[in-house]
Amino acid sequence: MPEPTDPLTERLRGTAGLGPLLAEAEAVWRTRAAGADGASAAPAWRPFEDAFPTFYQFTNRPPR
Amino acid sequence: MSSRELWTGMRGLSAVPSYVILQPTTLCNLDCAYCYLPHRAADRRMSAEVAALVAGTVNRWAAYAPRFSVVWHGGEPLSVGRAALAELMTPFVGVEHHVQTNATLVDDAWCGFFAEHEVRVGVSVDGPQELTGQRVARGGRPAYDQIMRGIGALRAHRIPFAALCVVTDPRPGLATRLYEYFLDLGCYALGINVEEREGVNTRSTTYPEEGVRAFWAELAGAWRAEPRIELREIEWALRYAGATLAGAADELLPRQHDPIPTVAYDGTVVLLSPELAGFTDPTYGDFSSGNVRDAPLDEIVARAAAGPAGWIAEYLAGVEACRTSCPYFGFCGGAHAANRYFEHGRFDGTETDHCRNSKIRLLEGVLDHAGAH
Repeated sequence: MPEPTDPLTERLRGTAGLGPLLAEAEAVWRTRAAGADGASAAPAWRPFEDAFPTFYQFTNRPPR
Repeated sequence: MSSRELWTGMRGLSAVPSYVILQPTTLCNLDCAYCYLPHRAADRRMSAEVAALVAGTVNRWAAYAPRFSVVWHGGEPLSVGRAALAELMTPFVGVEHHVQTNATLVDDAWCGFFAEHEVRVGVSVDGPQELTGQRVARGGRPAYDQIMRGIGALRAHRIPFAALCVVTDPRPGLATRLYEYFLDLGCYALGINVEEREGVNTRSTTYPEEGVRAFWAELAGAWRAEPRIELREIEWALRYAGATLAGAADELLPRQHDPIPTVAYDGTVVLLSPELAGFTDPTYGDFSSGNVRDAPLDEIVARAAAGPAGWIAEYLAGVEACRTSCPYFGFCGGAHAANRYFEHGRFDGTETDHCRNSKIRLLEGVLDHAGAH
C-alpha cells in the first residue's frame, strides 16, 4: 500500500471539493445499483466495464 | 525504496482472461481518418472452424466465471452479415456477446438479431455531425446520416446501447456540448477515447496540457449536473479518488494483467493489445503468441503467462518501470502496450501521449473541477 506521503494521494486528500463530489457520485451509483432511477436507458445498472469490456487494463472492477 | 513501488496490482500475466476479442472480418465499410487498422479495406473472414476452436477453450473459462465476454470487433463486425455472425457465435455457450459497431448497417433485422442473441451493443460515434466528420466512407462521403439511421433503429427497438466517442484535440468548450449530445442520443453509457497514435494512424496526439485538463474538468461538471449516463472516464477517476480517501486505492488494480486474447480472422492470437494484431516488426515479428489452429487457446495463454517472452516480457518490464517512476500508477496500472510501441517503438518505455491525455490529465482535470466547486 502506498505510504501516506505519496504526493498524489496527499493532493487528493487535500482537494476540498472532492468530498462533496464523491458523495454525489456515490449517491448516483447507489441509485443505479438499486435500479430505481427510472431515467437511465440501461435496463439495470452495470458498471462501465461491462458496457465496455474492451476498456482493458481499466479493470478496477468494484466488488458486487 | 520509493513509496510507489508498493502498489501491489498488475504483477505479471493471468493465465485466464475475463474476455476475448474476436475479429470476424478485417473489413470495415468505413474509412475513418483516425483508424489504426491496417487491413480494413480487405475482407478476410474468420472461418467457423476458427470460432469453434476458440469456443473450445472459452466455454471452459466461462463455466468458471460469473461473467465472460466475447467481443466481436473488426473491422466492422456486422459487415459479415447476420447468417455468418450467427454461425460464428453458435459454438459459444454461457458467454455474453458484445459487438462494437459503427452502426451504419444496423436496421430492423439486425435489431432482431441483437435481441434474439442477447448481444450487447456498443456504437462508435463522435458527437454531432460536425464532430463526427472524420467517420467517412471510402471516397470521403460522411457517414453521419447512416450512423443516425442505425441508432434510430436501436432506439425504435429499445435495444440499449453504449457509445464510444473519439475526441481529436480535446479543448475547453467541447465537453459540455458533447455530453449534452449523448444525453439526447439515448445511450446508457459513454466512453471517451482521446485520439491515439496507433497503427496506421500516425497523426500527432500531443495536445496542450491546459486544454486537455480543461476538457476533462468541464466533462466532470457536465456529468455532475446530469449524471444520467454512465460516463466511463469520469466515473473511473472518481472511483479511484474515493478509494484513495478511503485508504483502499491499492485494492483497485487487478492483481495481474488480463491477457485479453485477440483472435484474428485466421486464428492468430495476440495478447494484451488488440491494436497489434495484423502488424509485423523486424524485432518483434507479428506479435502473436500462437494460433488456435496449432494449439488450444488456453495453452497459448498459459504458456505466455508462465514464461513471458519477446515483446510481452519487454512490456512487463515497462510496467515495472511505470510502477517505480509514475505517481499515477495506482490509477492507471501502467501505459498500454500498443501506445508504448506505436509512440516509442519499444515496450519498455513509460509515459506516453495516451498516458498524458487520457489518464494523468483526466485525473488532474477531475481534481481541477472538484477544487473549483
